[in-house]
Amino acid sequence: MSLRVGTLLAAPVTAFLLALCVAPLLILFAYSFFRVDFVAISYDPSFANYAKIAGSATYRGLILKAFGSGALVVAITAVIGYPVAWFLAKRAGAMKSALLTLLLVPLYSGDLVRVFAWRVLLGAEGVINRSLIWAGVTDAPIQGLLFSPLATHIALTYNYLPFMVIGLWLAFESLDDAWLEAAADLGARSPSRFARVTLPLTFPGLVAGGLMVFVMVVGDYLTPQLLGGASGITVISAINDLFGTAFDWPLGSAIAWTMLAILMAFFAMGAMLIRRSSLVGGS
Amino acid sequence: MDRRLFLKSALAGTALGAFGPAGRALAATDLLWMTWENLAKDDYLAPFLDSHDVDLTKTFIGTDDEQFAKLRAGGASSVDLITPGLDKVSYYTASDLLQPIDFDKVPNAKLLYDTFKKTDLGKTDGQTYGIPFYWGINPIVYRADLMDEEPDWSVFFEGDKYNGKLAMRDYALEGIMIAAMYLGIPRDEMFTMDDKQLAEVKKVLMIQKSKLRTYWNSIGDLTNLFATGEVVCAFSWVPPYYDLKEKGLEMGMAKPKQGVIGWCDTIAVPKGVEGARRDSVFELVNYLLGPTYGKMLAYGGPYAQSTSAARDEIDPEQQEKIFIKDLSVMDNFVWKQNPPRYNDWVALWNEVKAS
Repeated sequence: MSLRVGTLLAAPVTAFLLALCVAPLLILFAYSFFRVDFVAISYDPSFANYAKIAGSATYRGLILKAFGSGALVVAITAVIGYPVAWFLAKRAGAMKSALLTLLLVPLYSGDLVRVFAWRVLLGAEGVINRSLIWAGVTDAPIQGLLFSPLATHIALTYNYLPFMVIGLWLAFESLDDAWLEAAADLGARSPSRFARVTLPLTFPGLVAGGLMVFVMVVGDYLTPQLLGGASGITVISAINDLFGTAFDWPLGSAIAWTMLAILMAFFAMGAMLIRRSSLVGGS
Repeated sequence: MDRRLFLKSALAGTALGAFGPAGRALAATDLLWMTWENLAKDDYLAPFLDSHDVDLTKTFIGTDDEQFAKLRAGGASSVDLITPGLDKVSYYTASDLLQPIDFDKVPNAKLLYDTFKKTDLGKTDGQTYGIPFYWGINPIVYRADLMDEEPDWSVFFEGDKYNGKLAMRDYALEGIMIAAMYLGIPRDEMFTMDDKQLAEVKKVLMIQKSKLRTYWNSIGDLTNLFATGEVVCAFSWVPPYYDLKEKGLEMGMAKPKQGVIGWCDTIAVPKGVEGARRDSVFELVNYLLGPTYGKMLAYGGPYAQSTSAARDEIDPEQQEKIFIKDLSVMDNFVWKQNPPRYNDWVALWNEVKAS
């Protein structure tokens, strides 16, 4: 009876998701096999668009660049986020709520506000360059601080760090300290306790936070566009060009679906890793 | 609820509620105009609405492509008047979305400047589908206090004095046009360049990329980059020149001898507009090309109308500002066109940016 009620209650949400999320994706998938002739879509299916992507060093490079950026930011946020999450879960005490709120404060401002704040900091006339000149470290502003891959990755790390910390914090919260005490009683030293107890037990949080950061970095084109300078092109902005100025919806759809397929593969790997981890019932 | 009613409800925020008395809500003819926000200010349109039994709803576009996408996706039946770029009208006619302009109902069209009368753009099989509406130029804007001399297109391709201080609009059409002008590719070949010419263009665009601080996407952002000194020279639109000059910065505007990119937007009527609505639409088109609207646009924009209707009512200083004091300026214009191989242009542009 309760199962039937549950199914009935879930039906509208399922229908909503199918209509507004799955159906558009399927339409996009269908379009990826068509081709465009000036402004007319030719509904003659082929793999030409996928062959074009495979044969284009530009699109291959942009896809690789997107996933490379995602992996780099995941690695940086993991290194910074791990001790922060541990502190929040195990040492913050009564300050925990306040610190968690503080962690999320940057997300309350809009993307553009954060981008322009970084420009104020990193610009040729910005706070950092002026400070360096004032301190005598350099005679002229360091141009590479802004409008460079460095600026892009600093901002991306800042934007998405909270998502990594939240994932890890949840994992640390469910980490029973008795495991570490038992390991210590059995003679395990600190590095060994970390490698054989803490890391495996918080690994699902690392994977969950990492996937969240990864997806958002791969899909972010505003930050690279506004802070990356002449090298700020992303695969997402290329898709935008194809859907917009070039009116090549089929090729744009094919690139979008290629990205989606790769992301789904990453998610499948992430789910597999979480399932195998010791926290969720692995060996 | 039909599509028209639905769209009008959804666009209530931009509805023209402020025009005239409440009785207009019961006006005989409802019109929907898809346009840029700066062209449809209430005071620009009030004289027309006060003298016509029309209820006008405006829906604003962010880009030309967005406008086309909306119409292509089935929006044409909901809209009575659109504002495509002169170079984009062929997109609409190829998709069979427009009806020809009825010149009998648009007497002000006789006052179109010669260049607009003669152009083949906006026309298909001898019939006009997009009537030139307003126009301007996209020049080089620069910080005169930070540059030694007036630049031309070569500043983006030669020398290293301004390396890392230049900006270019992130737009394949104009970016490639500029490279072609720099290379001296004849204007009649510019939009039909062959593979060899496109390879030359790509080569110089790679050099250009190495000199740029950034590609810009919004004019507000470019204005900000000029103001902070991040950029000293850019292929630009006109507004940063006046905006920053007003704020006390020494700005310059260069119109290179190799050619200046001219732009023009048209007004066009979707195919399904008929009967009384069609008559009212053409009355509105005639008003938009007339002296009252033209004068307000010249001072409020400031932009130049495509007809001479208001020219004599505009003082010389303002005429200079909107490039209609000396009309020979148009002789050096390269009007934007839609290249037949535009997909290849976009691919080339992305290859350069990704290099």
